Amino acid sequence: MASRTISKDIITLRGSAAIVSEFFGYAANSILYNRGIYPEESFGKVKKYGLTLLLTQDEGVKSFISGLTSQLSEWLEAGKLQRVVLVIMSKATSEVLERWNFNIETDAEVVEKGVIKEKSDKEIMREIQAIMRQIASCITYLPCLDEACVFDVLAYTDKDTTVPMAWVESDAKLINNPQMVKLHSFDTKMHKVDTIVSYKNDEWEDEE
Amino acid sequence: MCILLSFVSCQGGKREILKTREMQFLTPPSRKRRAEAEAEAGTSAGTSGGAASPVSDRRIVLYEQHEAVPFQVPRASFGPSDQLMCTYHCRQMVKSEFFVALDTAEKENAEHKARLAALNDQLYKIEEEREKYRDEASFLQQELAASKARENSLQERLLKEVDNSEERYRDQLRCISELEFEIKKKMDSRVAAEQFTETLKETVRELQTKLESLSDSSEREISSLRRELSYVQDESKFSSSKVTAELERTRLRAESAEEEAELLKEQLIGLKEQLDERLTQKGEIEHHHSSSNISPSNASSDDDKKMIKLLQEELHNYEKEVQEARKLKSSQLNSELLKEKLLEEQSRRERAELELSKLHELQIKAQKLELELTSWKSLLNDIPDIVSYSDIPKKFAELQKEALENMAKLGEITAQLKEIKVAMEYADLSKQRAETECMLAKEKVESSSLEVKRLQLMLASVTEERDRLRKDSSTSNKDAGPPDDSRVKELEAALNDKEQMMKEMESSLQEHREIVAHQHAELKLFNDRFTDESKKVKSLERESDRLRHEVALLESKLGHGDYSSSNTKVLRMVNTLAVENEAKQTIEALQAELKRTTERLQAVEELKGQFDAALPEKLVQLKNQIAVLEKREERYKAVFAEKISVFRKACCSLFGYKIVMDDQKRPNGIPVTRFTLQSIYAQSDDEKLEFEYESGSMNIVMNDYTSQTDIAHQIEIFIRKMNSIPAFTANLTVECFNRRTLS
Repeated sequence: MASRTISKDIITLRGSAAIVSEFFGYAANSILYNRGIYPEESFGKVKKYGLTLLLTQDEGVKSFISGLTSQLSEWLEAGKLQRVVLVIMSKATSEVLERWNFNIETDAEVVEKGVIKEKSDKEIMREIQAIMRQIASCITYLPCLDEACVFDVLAYTDKDTTVPMAWVESDAKLINNPQMVKLHSFDTKMHKVDTIVSYKNDEWEDEE
Repeated sequence: MCILLSFVSCQGGKREILKTREMQFLTPPSRKRRAEAEAEAGTSAGTSGGAASPVSDRRIVLYEQHEAVPFQVPRASFGPSDQLMCTYHCRQMVKSEFFVALDTAEKENAEHKARLAALNDQLYKIEEEREKYRDEASFLQQELAASKARENSLQERLLKEVDNSEERYRDQLRCISELEFEIKKKMDSRVAAEQFTETLKETVRELQTKLESLSDSSEREISSLRRELSYVQDESKFSSSKVTAELERTRLRAESAEEEAELLKEQLIGLKEQLDERLTQKGEIEHHHSSSNISPSNASSDDDKKMIKLLQEELHNYEKEVQEARKLKSSQLNSELLKEKLLEEQSRRERAELELSKLHELQIKAQKLELELTSWKSLLNDIPDIVSYSDIPKKFAELQKEALENMAKLGEITAQLKEIKVAMEYADLSKQRAETECMLAKEKVESSSLEVKRLQLMLASVTEERDRLRKDSSTSNKDAGPPDDSRVKELEAALNDKEQMMKEMESSLQEHREIVAHQHAELKLFNDRFTDESKKVKSLERESDRLRHEVALLESKLGHGDYSSSNTKVLRMVNTLAVENEAKQTIEALQAELKRTTERLQAVEELKGQFDAALPEKLVQLKNQIAVLEKREERYKAVFAEKISVFRKACCSLFGYKIVMDDQKRPNGIPVTRFTLQSIYAQSDDEKLEFEYESGSMNIVMNDYTSQTDIAHQIEIFIRKMNSIPAFTANLTVECFNRRTLS
């Protein structure tokens, strides 16, 4: 019986940054669809990571997310990005209801020396697939968003990072006494991404 | 004859049977000699190791000498001649004795053979058993070697683990000492913080009671203010209703006065026209009078008197109408003034209501601020290390941080305690495992010792058997004859070998015992080390729980979104979606407004074009109209001024008084017309009469001249009693005329 050999693909810093930024784009779309930020009919199906995912067809949102992912890719290549947070707020009161926190650990040696790492693309895809499935299943435990909501994206960067044109400094938009759920993580050997969703305690749960 | 022994030695199932038989037949010597021979045979057998024959050794005269005669036969006693002297009988006797001896020897041989066979069997069995024991011994040796190897490996592993655990133990001891020190510190700080929180709670309770009292007082004040406000509102409503009613009344009055004024104006115009006619008639009459001066004076005087009366009546009527017109005008002015006053009061009322509401809010705010000020002042007094208001939040933040740190450290300590417990449990488990292993090893050792004992017993039994066999063999050798030295030697050599093997086995057994004892000691040491390692393991597990707790805390902080502002900043992408939407909306709104303004501009330009075309004409027309109206107004003014002056002069000449009319306002705001009359016959300028006309009534105003007794008396009679000012003025005129003419 022939032994199985695990094929490993070479990953560069640029490739890893592209993988992570692309993941964030699809994750943001999935969150917007599952949380009902935009109407269902404004999303279209695509195949990615071995799953059927939904991408927004609204030109404004598309351009916003594409600009966002390009900037994130730049920061990831420079090793300046620490965290990306997708914040869901009430449109009427601007109260923060949910925070989708993507924490990024960058291998400093890779950024400084440009070392190449090896990991199977399939393995990375499997890990990302698991996270996407968890995002899709989040409606089972997250509270319902009954009111109209808007979203915003925060980037935690190094202190010495220059602020680009379309970005401004902001507060962290925290939630008081949040509930937290830790999701799976994925690792490209250069960037490790951990996902945590924190949400405002539902009043029903408090009464119970 | 002698019977020799046969040895059966079995080695590995082979049997080597050495049999040597030599039979020597000897005639038994005398008993003494027999005993000597036995002794000799016994000694020779003892030395050679052979067995003596139990048959009585009678001296036998040898018929034929054999060279190989082992036994020492005293031949010297017999000699060769004795041999020849043996008779047939002796020979037969010898034969019979020989046969008997042979039979007995054969029997004995058979017995010996049987015994030998039995002994051989026994030896075989013994050797089998020996081999078994050897196998077992080899097995035991192998097991011992394996156990040694296992023990060595265990020792090495244990040594390694011991070294690691020692290192960890030292580290943990250091950490524990540091943690204990920190825990002491934190406990002290916690106690202090708890005391401080208790004091703060007490102050908070006091503040709450003060708050409650102040809130009660403020509520009472609020209720009183509300009551006052309601009163003020009611009053204002009442006043406003009054004012509205007065306003309506005045409005109605003003409307009626306006209507009357219009009527009077029309009447005035008619009267003026009539006056003009009359004046023209008068002029004609005067002219006629002057032209016809000689005509009968009586008729003219009557006519003049009638005319004068008519004129006076008309004048009187005109004056009345003028007075009424003035009254109406004044009333109209009053109504306008009242309207203005009403509007002012309404605006004042609205302002007052607004200010009242603002005042209420301001009062509430002021109360709140006062409460806060008092609370903060009391806090400033109660809380130590605080100098100003701005220090309080910092102090609270510091206290909160300390409390949080203490709570975190308490959590850490509890986590460490849990770690200790878990590690203790794990060490107990490992200890139990080690104890079971020790028990198993002990059992093994005991079993091996039992095996050794058993082997020893077997050895002892084998040696006993050997001794017994030796004895048996020696006795059999004595009976059978002199033994074979080589065979005995071989047997002895084999026995010696066996003895040596036995000794070696015993020595190995002793070594094994020593090894086992050493292993027991090592096991004890390992037990002690196990207990130490279990403690270390528990401490390690504590540390792992603490680290897990730290990880959980960090993850919670991460999930919450906390970050260090010293090396991290939060950036937000400007939400171009909303901005674009807003921009789009503003653009659309601006575009719509632009369209509207362009449409308006177009309309204005069209109108302007139209106006531009028609505007100058209209302007000219309007200007002409304005010029015409202004001219007419000036003409009217001039005509009126002439008429008035003529009227005044006529009145003066007719009635003998110069009348000066002056409109004034009283302090209460009511307009009053003052008339100052000076007789043409007055002797001084001080002789003036003053009248006030107010709302249709004429009243005399007392002055120095009218306060004179004559004048006052006349006023009393004519005005007060008869209510006739013309009579008074006429009487006064006559008196002044008389005075003038007479003087």
